[in-house]
Amino acid sequence: MAPPLVTDAIVLHAFDYLESSRILKLVTRVGGVRSVLARGARASKRRFGRALDLFAEGTAELQTKPGRDLDTLSSFDVTRARPQLAGHLARFAGAGTIAELTLRFARDAADPGLYDAVATALDALASAAPERAPDATLAGAWRILAELGIAPVIDQCAECHASIDMDAVAVFSHPAGGVVCARCGHLARRGRSLPVSARAALRDWLAGDSHPVTDSGAIRAHQRLLREFVREHLADDRPLHAFEAWEHAPWAGSVA
Amino acid sequence: MSAIDDLATELSRLPGIGRKTALRLTYHLLRQPTDQTRRLASALLTLGERVHPCARCFNLTEEELCAICRDPRRDQTTICVVEQSSDIGAIERAGEYRGVYHVLGGRLSPLDGIGPDDLTVAALMDRLRGGQGDAESTVREVILATNPSLEGEATALYVQGQVAPLGISVSRIARGLPVGGDLEYADGVTIAQAIAARRAM
Repeated sequence: MAPPLVTDAIVLHAFDYLESSRILKLVTRVGGVRSVLARGARASKRRFGRALDLFAEGTAELQTKPGRDLDTLSSFDVTRARPQLAGHLARFAGAGTIAELTLRFARDAADPGLYDAVATALDALASAAPERAPDATLAGAWRILAELGIAPVIDQCAECHASIDMDAVAVFSHPAGGVVCARCGHLARRGRSLPVSARAALRDWLAGDSHPVTDSGAIRAHQRLLREFVREHLADDRPLHAFEAWEHAPWAGSVA
Repeated sequence: MSAIDDLATELSRLPGIGRKTALRLTYHLLRQPTDQTRRLASALLTLGERVHPCARCFNLTEEELCAICRDPRRDQTTICVVEQSSDIGAIERAGEYRGVYHVLGGRLSPLDGIGPDDLTVAALMDRLRGGQGDAESTVREVILATNPSLEGEATALYVQGQVAPLGISVSRIARGLPVGGDLEYADGVTIAQAIAARRAM
């Protein structure tokens, strides 16, 4: 029997399984994204405690078997619950988006940088004022994409690598993977004009820095850019439910 | 596929029943008198044909209205909102609550694509506005009894946001230490919530 995998973990998705168990999707520091079975998690709080909930963080002990997609969760000691994420629907929807992004891209390989980016994004969202929840989500999402190694290029042309002045409006091309110069922009299949302020925000978010954006029009444009970028990099057409709610559903605090 | 495999496959879809148990149950049924298996089959068919959501509260019932909605002794001015019909049984077993219920049919879950339109929130609002033209137009309190999970809390917050403008009192079930529990063994989040929700004595 393989020794248990003991690692920091964050619950990104949870659903009930059979009468009293739950299946969780965790992002872990040393094992990437893992699906685990938490036996009896709904009925007995003895093993996992009441805080084995969405977006909770703690030390997980996993029983793994080679070739199996579903590990068994032996224990989960919560170090940080994030109940504030349910304190406002904009935070809740933003956290769902962060979780969906991570689950759609991450694999079961160790990635401490990604783990820290997810934890930081959820913490920032949990402490964000409701009106700042959209830009906290955008910041977290772009930082996660950067950790995944698919950050867009924004300071030089993604095609010819020519330098592009940060004080100039640039065309963002999803297929090219970032902004493109005027010459390459003419050849790009499609693109969006990226204002100077939007590029500055993107640069800061990719670096893990805060950059407040409160204008509703700018938030909507950033949400669209992020969704299109994510779609461009996904290998399948499965719907992005959490993105959809975050961007469009009034109940989720989407920007009017 | 043989009849044995067929039944074992169907039984193994039930919660808590794996393939081995399903086969054991199948062979057990084969050993029973034909009358008994026929009664079981008939009961299963009847279940699917007769049981449906209550027209008012979405609890499961065989009538148009469930037994709780029909009961004149229940306090129709208080509605307890729960996620699933099975939650009603848990509250009823406690024997403390005398009001009526409303079953949402789930909870908000953006990752699963479940939003308010997938729940019975609109029907609840109809009830509260007296849309069904009955005594429930005089509802004075809505108790939100969704699960104390993050999704349950968000769902409660959403329903509260919808109900509050109607001027109806909205309350949330309390959370904290279980009766008979030991403080030493409670997790930090539960203790924190119990302290936050403390009451004066």
